[in-house]
Amino acid sequence: MEEPYEQELKFEEVKEEKNIVKNTIFWIFKNIKFLLIPGSRLEDLSRREFEYEKTISKRKFIRRLKSVLTILGMIIIFIIITFAIHGAWIAPYTREVANGVLTGSWDPPTPSNLLGQTKFGRDVLSRAIYGAYSSLTIALPAITFSVIVGVIVGMISGYYGGWVDSVIMRITDVFLAFPGLILALVFIAIWGQHMEYIMLAFGILGVPYYARLIRGSVLQARELPYVEAARVSGSGNWRLMFRHVLPNCIQPIIISFTFDIGGIILSLAGLSFLGYSDMTLIEWGNDISVARLHLTDAPWSMFWPGIMILVTVMGFMLVGDGLRDALDPRMKNL
Amino acid sequence: MSMIKFIIRRLLSLLPVLFGVITLTFILSRLMPGDPIIAHLPKNFTEEMYLEMLAQLGLDRPILEQYVIYLGDLFTGNWGVSVTLAPGTPVWDLVLERFFRTFDIAIASIFIATFLGLKTGVISATHRNKPKDTILRGFALVGVAIPVFWMGMVLQYLFAFQLDLFPGIGYKTAGIGDPPVVTHLRVIDCILSLDMVILVDYIEHLILPVLCLSFITLASITRQTRSSMLEVLGQDYVRTARAKGCKEKDVIKTHARKNALIPTITIIGLNFGGLLSGAVLTETTFNLHGLGELLIVSIQNTDYWVLNGIVFLTTITFIVINLGIDLIYGFIDPRIRY
Repeated sequence: MEEPYEQELKFEEVKEEKNIVKNTIFWIFKNIKFLLIPGSRLEDLSRREFEYEKTISKRKFIRRLKSVLTILGMIIIFIIITFAIHGAWIAPYTREVANGVLTGSWDPPTPSNLLGQTKFGRDVLSRAIYGAYSSLTIALPAITFSVIVGVIVGMISGYYGGWVDSVIMRITDVFLAFPGLILALVFIAIWGQHMEYIMLAFGILGVPYYARLIRGSVLQARELPYVEAARVSGSGNWRLMFRHVLPNCIQPIIISFTFDIGGIILSLAGLSFLGYSDMTLIEWGNDISVARLHLTDAPWSMFWPGIMILVTVMGFMLVGDGLRDALDPRMKNL
Repeated sequence: MSMIKFIIRRLLSLLPVLFGVITLTFILSRLMPGDPIIAHLPKNFTEEMYLEMLAQLGLDRPILEQYVIYLGDLFTGNWGVSVTLAPGTPVWDLVLERFFRTFDIAIASIFIATFLGLKTGVISATHRNKPKDTILRGFALVGVAIPVFWMGMVLQYLFAFQLDLFPGIGYKTAGIGDPPVVTHLRVIDCILSLDMVILVDYIEHLILPVLCLSFITLASITRQTRSSMLEVLGQDYVRTARAKGCKEKDVIKTHARKNALIPTITIIGLNFGGLLSGAVLTETTFNLHGLGELLIVSIQNTDYWVLNGIVFLTTITFIVINLGIDLIYGFIDPRIRY
């Protein structure tokens, strides 16, 4: 037993020795220009200074983010994501049972159904937990789609300007003038009530909004001297757009992203309330709409899905608020 | 004079938007599944009846010709007749009645929300990170995150079914008639015909939906006012005003609040436009027979004509509200020139 252990030790020692040799050679190679070229050390110093500033600003950011409300929001989001991924471990009934046709119906809370029963005797508590899955799986891809497409469209529009800009902006105007929920509803009516189409409908709805958002900041950023410098040093249009201008405009997008996850979960619930949802999914809005006709005799079946929506959306909004306070340069002095 | 010029220029620049929305509606309505004619005809219809109906509605023509006719009809005010929803009723009458009901609710909610929201927002900003601010922020956050329809149902359950204070559903009690139509605004019609019973009944029915909508609008106005007030309070001129010895009340009222109003007005306008066109959920919850509900029903029944009429009307109101906001900017901030 001991022999291999010793061997291992020896092996490590040898390795370390090798490493030391390697490191010294490396150090000489790395610093040879300091030894040869006078003044070149300054570059390194300024780089270190930059890194130092970076860590400082990162620490400041984290300190500003560490408010009670933001942490509360993060905890809520964490819980909801846990519900979405591991719902089957937490909920008292399996997904099939919670979505199946059972014997009871609209029964008040009992020890076996802690929050009561809804249509077909389904367990309200289980459905409230499983609902997290469908909300998040629809909201996250939808918002990612709108951010990616919106950023590309808005970037092109803001960067090139001229007639490209005015055409794109007129199209976004049209979409923004149209009531959003109605547009989603019409899209879903045309394509059919499937999860993927609902995602796509919400994704398309978000595009003009994000295009608008990023266009505004691109218009400001592209006039900055460092962009000019990058252009002079020979960057192409695409490199300029996505390596130089985009990082400077990403902050409002990040803030809006967090808010909009909540917003989409809310509109999704509204859409399912109107009856436009994927009926195979367990979905909070749909549960509320089903329970609406039994408001007087089974209020519990309406109450809990709504609380879940409220808490989830609040979690995302709290984190969005926290991010905005931490990132927004205008608020720094306050 | 410059103002009139500004209005005209603004309206002209919004024409493409109007045109785009109308075109989009046309395309979407023709893409929608379902055939209005089959829905309209009796179940055992013959092919002859179908073709006759098709020709009568103009749906047998080429799609481009349909589009041109549709554009002409919209702008000349000939919005056609509802086919599947309420067969034979002119769309104009149908839409107008619903529009004014939604208008009543929207205007009441926006007034309450603006009046309170400006106050709560300013209080929240001036008491930053104090208990008052925390409470108000909490309420505003709940208002932004709450699903409207769910809140409506909770209010219905509490106030209508449990406490029996207000009627929970509809806009009038069964058996109560309508006042003679003069202005289409039910409140004014009631006052003109001196019919207090109908008026009281109508207002009782509107309390819960207005409470619901105004809470949500109030929340977003409070949040916007708070953040723009905070931004303004950090400005140099506020410090100058304090340094020269202005009372804190005057600093807030005249120096800070006026400058914080511009973004808030934008949010108020957006909310008002949203209430006029998109109060679908609340109207469905309270069964109010408003414009949004009509829109949903017209989509479900593939009634192109009603759908087009509603979208045209809501887009026009959207444009008018936007224009109004631009004009209000000038009154609040005289530096803004048209």
